[in-house]
Amino acid sequence: MSKVRLSFLLPLLAFAVLALFGAIALYSTLLGSRDPAQLPSVLVGKPAPQTTLPRLRQQDHNNENSVTLTEFRGQPLLVNFFASWCAPCRVEAPALEMISKNIAIFGIAYKDRSEDTAEFLQQFGNPFQAIGMDIDGRNGIRWGVYGVPETYLLDRDGVVVLRHAGPITRGIIDNTIMPALEDLGS
Amino acid sequence: MIAEFGHFALITAFILSLAQSVVPLFGAARRNIAMMLVAPAAAISVTLAVILSFSALVWGFITSDFSLALVANHSHSTKPMIYKISGTWGNHEGSLLLWILILVIYGGLMALGGRTMPIALKARILAIQGMVSASFLAFSLFTSNPFQRLSTIPLDGKGLNPILQDPGLAIHPPMLYLGYVGLSMAFAFAVAALITGEVDRMWAKWMRPWVIAAWCALTCGIALGSWWAYYELGWGGWWFWDPVENASLMPWLAATALLHSAIVVEKRGQLKSWTVLLAIMAFSLSLVGTFIVRSGLLTSVHSFASDPARGVFVLMILLFAVGIPLALYAWRGPKLFTTADFTLTSREGALIANNMLLIVATAIVLLGTFYPLGLELVTGARITVGPPYFDATFNPVMAILMMIMAIGPVMAWRRGRTTRLQPVMICALAGGAIACIALLSFEARFGIGPLAALGLIGWLSAGIGADIWLQLRPTKSANFSARLKRLPRDVIGMWVAHFGIVIFMLGAVGDSLFNSEQVVRANPGDVIRIADRNITFTGIQQVQGPNYQAVAAQLEYRDEAGNLFAVLRPEKRIYSAERQTTTEAAIRPTLRGDDYAVLGDGDAQIGYTLRLYYKPLISWIWGGAALMAVGGLVAVFGRQRTVRRQNAAITGVAVSDTHMAAPPLSRGGKG
Repeated sequence: MSKVRLSFLLPLLAFAVLALFGAIALYSTLLGSRDPAQLPSVLVGKPAPQTTLPRLRQQDHNNENSVTLTEFRGQPLLVNFFASWCAPCRVEAPALEMISKNIAIFGIAYKDRSEDTAEFLQQFGNPFQAIGMDIDGRNGIRWGVYGVPETYLLDRDGVVVLRHAGPITRGIIDNTIMPALEDLGS
Repeated sequence: MIAEFGHFALITAFILSLAQSVVPLFGAARRNIAMMLVAPAAAISVTLAVILSFSALVWGFITSDFSLALVANHSHSTKPMIYKISGTWGNHEGSLLLWILILVIYGGLMALGGRTMPIALKARILAIQGMVSASFLAFSLFTSNPFQRLSTIPLDGKGLNPILQDPGLAIHPPMLYLGYVGLSMAFAFAVAALITGEVDRMWAKWMRPWVIAAWCALTCGIALGSWWAYYELGWGGWWFWDPVENASLMPWLAATALLHSAIVVEKRGQLKSWTVLLAIMAFSLSLVGTFIVRSGLLTSVHSFASDPARGVFVLMILLFAVGIPLALYAWRGPKLFTTADFTLTSREGALIANNMLLIVATAIVLLGTFYPLGLELVTGARITVGPPYFDATFNPVMAILMMIMAIGPVMAWRRGRTTRLQPVMICALAGGAIACIALLSFEARFGIGPLAALGLIGWLSAGIGADIWLQLRPTKSANFSARLKRLPRDVIGMWVAHFGIVIFMLGAVGDSLFNSEQVVRANPGDVIRIADRNITFTGIQQVQGPNYQAVAAQLEYRDEAGNLFAVLRPEKRIYSAERQTTTEAAIRPTLRGDDYAVLGDGDAQIGYTLRLYYKPLISWIWGGAALMAVGGLVAVFGRQRTVRRQNAAITGVAVSDTHMAAPPLSRGGKG
């Protein structure tokens, strides 16, 4: 009978193990050290795709017609895909503003019209060094953008170090982006 | 005001459900009838209160009351009325309330029905049901209040995700929840049985209709979800092994196993503890299915915005709802243990094999869904598990299951064989062989996979056909209709449901083997050829919808002789409120196959991208699922009839011949 009794305990034990895993995963999500939005990217460790885009005209800024990624070589760079039509992009605006003091940010307006992008920047602030217009989203495909907002961290040589899908928050900056940036030695 | 009223009704429901979960349990333990009778009264009151509360929320959506945070975030004044209403459950808070509504309606039905059940059993079942409702009412009230007001009232709402504005999606969640939540009845039966430590055949007989009903709804819900993905996402596929889809498939697999093991309990009084465990598992999996994607544990394209704080609450509920019953099972389960009194080659043996295979399949899906999570916790690596894994593991298990499906129903209970076993096996073998030969003569290039699939379809359909013929063919003593009348409706339901699987398989195999696909960049006037049809792209039109603007391509389909037989207009829609673009595939569904067209990017200079498919037999997938559900319904309602007839028959003559070869039911039970 004791063997029978033991087999009746098995489901409970199996469940306990599963629940423990779930609890750990949830706990680390709560702490911010794990983020389900952080999807694996094939780009990590590889040079960022060549990117030349029409430049969004802004006052007191560069008057060139286009902007390329290579302009930013020699310093770590954040590449941020955003759009005026995307609600989470509004959410991440303050966080981007904050981190723009530490690192240059190249904004790529994804499937957006210049008027709308300009209005968005006026409303929510402009943390970007330059903004490229990816009007048909083809550039996004090359980068493998999952959805806006999405952010990539590039090192001095333009190699992708990190990818974050979803809005940037204070927790993401402190726990993910800043440590990676410190590893790059800036 | 109405919203506050709804909120108040929800609070009332919570307090009443606490009473429902505590008082009857005490009453049942002390044999106090008055306390036990609290259960049905409380269950009906809770149902009424939640109906009021849900109606208040729907009213808020109908009248576009943007002072409600939920309405402001998920609705828009320009939205068509049906989507305003369906917007009620197109978000976390509202869908949770719908979930609760269905849960308490099941409880209310149980309270109203079940007149032949012993009062103590009914009181315990309703008490367990009350505990589940109380947990989720608390979840709703404390973490996801749908009646939250805004201090500043916006002029218009933020709209609903346009991809969710779709008739299929309006009815998909209610259907799916009907299935998920229906399994809570089986769960309540199981826990009540563990409390008393008693399971008899009547217990299974009372439980089985609930399981079948839930299973039917779940089947329809999953099929609707897959149909929605097929025509709305515009990828031409119908199943993606996405975590959300897997989460609905797992309870379905467990419920299917439960459905079959409960037969053994009802007819033979065996497999009691296993059936109890299955009932607990099925409901646990449906809890996981509804809530895991909202807890922030898994990533999915379908998921609502996840919130880890809610995840903690969900995990707590899961811990109690699964942990306590399993602890109870470890303690009381051995009392339900029976030693097997049958051989492997019996009906019971076949049903056990069915259960084992379904549980293995569930484990495969569970592993594929949660392994990435586990791996990430251990090594930090992030991977995704895709169709190749499931094709290689899930499909072979299902293939073995289909083999047993043809011969299991013609095996005899306990041991030995029926006279039907041999002819059915011969027919099934012949059917399988003919299907394989037909496929090979048609096209020799197919590998072992398609060949096996076709062979199985032949095997199963011939097996079912032979069984039907042997049981219904006119004999000296009875003609066709007389024999049909004498047959229990369960058997007819089983045939229909099993045949639904044949139809489903035909659809799935047809689509994967003979699917043709073309992606072209075309200018107006171009002709594209696909699967014996010439498609002329005649041009682009602007379309103005109620809350969107669209460009539509016009495609004229002509057959070999040049006759126009269809015009398809795939669209690309731009929803102004959300500034979101969706592609609307144009589909011409026929029994032989679907023409499926999607309009991609492009303009007048460079041409337009068109994705054109011809998908043979694909609509049979959903037809098969519908047949399975119909089979379930026939079994449920047929059972009611059979029971009534049995009660009416004073003589007590056995209703059927070989199918009721099991010893007759012991009437009365305890009560």
